[in-house]
Amino acid sequence: MGVRKTAAVWAGKATGTLSRITKRGGGTTLPGDIARAIDPRILTRLTQDLTYGSIVVTGTNGKTTTARLISWLLEGAGHRVVANRAGANLIFGVTTAALNRAGTDGRLRADWGVFEIDEASLPKAVDEIRPRTTLVMNLFRDQLDRYGELETIAKKIEKALTTQPEYANAILNADDPRVAEIGLNLQRKPTWYGLDDVSVATTTLPHAADARTCPRCGSSLQFSAVYVGHDGVYKCPNGDFARPNPDLTATNIELNGFDGLATTIEGNRVEIPLGGLYNVYNVLAAYAAARAAGLEPEYIAQRLRTFKAAFGRQERVEFRGRHLILVLSKNPAGFNETVRTAVELAHGKNFIIGLNDRKADGTDVSWIWDVDFEMLKDKAQVVIPAGVRANDLAVRLKYAGVEAEKPQPEPGQALDLLIKNTKEGDAAYVLCTYTAMLDIRGELVRRGWAQPYWET
Amino acid sequence: MGAAILGNMTAFTVGWLYPDLMNIYGDRGNILTLLRRAEWRGFEPRLVELGRGASEQMADVDVFFFGGGQDREQALVYNDLLEYKREPLEKAVKEGAQVLAVCGGYQLLGHYYQTAGGQKFDGIGLIDVTTEAGSKRCIGDVVVQTSLEGLSPDTLVGFENHSGRTFLGKGVQPLGKVLMGKGNNGSDKTEGCVQGGVIGTYLHGSLLPKNPHLADYLIERALTRRGVAGLSPLDDSVELAAHGWILQRAQRQ
Ligand SMILES: [Zn+2]
Repeated sequence: MGVRKTAAVWAGKATGTLSRITKRGGGTTLPGDIARAIDPRILTRLTQDLTYGSIVVTGTNGKTTTARLISWLLEGAGHRVVANRAGANLIFGVTTAALNRAGTDGRLRADWGVFEIDEASLPKAVDEIRPRTTLVMNLFRDQLDRYGELETIAKKIEKALTTQPEYANAILNADDPRVAEIGLNLQRKPTWYGLDDVSVATTTLPHAADARTCPRCGSSLQFSAVYVGHDGVYKCPNGDFARPNPDLTATNIELNGFDGLATTIEGNRVEIPLGGLYNVYNVLAAYAAARAAGLEPEYIAQRLRTFKAAFGRQERVEFRGRHLILVLSKNPAGFNETVRTAVELAHGKNFIIGLNDRKADGTDVSWIWDVDFEMLKDKAQVVIPAGVRANDLAVRLKYAGVEAEKPQPEPGQALDLLIKNTKEGDAAYVLCTYTAMLDIRGELVRRGWAQPYWET
Repeated sequence: MGAAILGNMTAFTVGWLYPDLMNIYGDRGNILTLLRRAEWRGFEPRLVELGRGASEQMADVDVFFFGGGQDREQALVYNDLLEYKREPLEKAVKEGAQVLAVCGGYQLLGHYYQTAGGQKFDGIGLIDVTTEAGSKRCIGDVVVQTSLEGLSPDTLVGFENHSGRTFLGKGVQPLGKVLMGKGNNGSDKTEGCVQGGVIGTYLHGSLLPKNPHLADYLIERALTRRGVAGLSPLDDSVELAAHGWILQRAQRQ
């Protein structure tokens, strides 16, 4: 045990307390900054204390929910889990999470680390955390101003996975062409997972599809099933590339709005109070990670029934008999799925659509033109463009043929308008980018309708 | 130009070059804006998707749109552009079709793109510009004062995200002067270019939805050859509010 490690832990923990007292964002990354300044290898030293090791979750969409599902499964089996929550998924946030769980002797007392990591930070995370399992969920375009291009990210992830130690394993989404190419280039075969139920698939790629071409020869891929974005069952007409055969599949999928879903994995019926086809991927990915961690199928299926979503992911807020459903929607592929679930499966009528262009949202908002807001046309009754870029959303909705309300950049005014137009007993949907959701949620907390997030 | 008039309805055809590969910055917004604004005025909107390979339909196009792609996708269209698109595009422009090229599309229509290592890739030379790789990416809001005739307001707003530095030759005019942002190269205050019926620019965001006056400029010029004189006005309050919001924010900074 180094003196330096203990000092770094102490300094970091003191910063965390101070930051929570002064209410600066729940103290999610600052302690990590401080501790890393004192001991740059602090995260490696702390995660070495874990009884079994770490599970790292990366990909454009679904990592928060999936990481939370994995923690839920491990905790229910009696494991002590350290996880980064509240969306602080850069390396500093991970360090802070580990610090918060370390004792005054500088030792991290936990069995598992479950960390969600931004795609671009994965190489650093793999280098420092040395995860036992790395889960790669999907690669969509997300914030090109910040993350660089899809191809660069994919190369980085592939490189990170090739540097993994012998004991490490990779769990990859076979349905995502760009993720599949990463896995097919690895020396050791990863665990593949994928959906297998054409009744919930379409056959045409949406506008939000990015990986349309064969990574080997550049021809347009042929899709026999499209599930979410460009994730589905595909092959190259030249025969040099095809979806790998999944080791784990989700079959017999039943979707019930935002209320829940059911699917069969390894012969067991899995039911969970999370909605949307994209959550089938999250559940299947978490299932695969839990199996790799040694949990039994029957236990996993039973434990998932009582899961609760992370803040703003699919959160329910009750107000004077109205049911507000908050769903984070941060890029074209994600937004398409939340809009589809709200409109087609939940038959939602009233909406706030929120768009901010702060750093955490991505400063370039051109991607809203790749979201199929046309799905709201003639189905939605009240659509309120909100957030810093409410005006841009209003234009997008106009060209989608959706009759929208006046833009409402003030979260309080957007909420008032939504409540005014929603009858008692009815549901209303709040679909927002990351900081736009924080703004709406902040207003809900201020009004006493919701809890501050670090207390949930 | 066979089927331009259908009954009493004039067709308006948008040709989208490589919609599957060169569509990184919400380019669909530009397409939708052109189609809807033509439709709202009683023209029959048509979209022709011009993927890889030869296409007879290029001759029917009124406005071509050529967007940006990721490096890998840009490399995939490069040979196709030289082989199948160059000639029909030149012909269409001579006959009065309009072209809007954004970012990667803009670069590929110029004489060449030179990499940091000095390697030159020939473009199709439809516009008199050249591009070199830059070391730093230009990312952020852009406000341009345009010199295009008859545009009101005379500003264009958008978002840029490019590392290429484009320099204008004698045969082109700049699309405008940069009031905010970097524009063509970050040094001469110019943004974009105009050469006859071809407009090149680094602005996306998408460009046309927040700049309806530029969309109408393209539609009107393209339809002139179909015997259409002037476009009826539309209610652009929603579009101009988004345009104005960017201008206001630029002034605060
Ligand atoms: Zn191929």
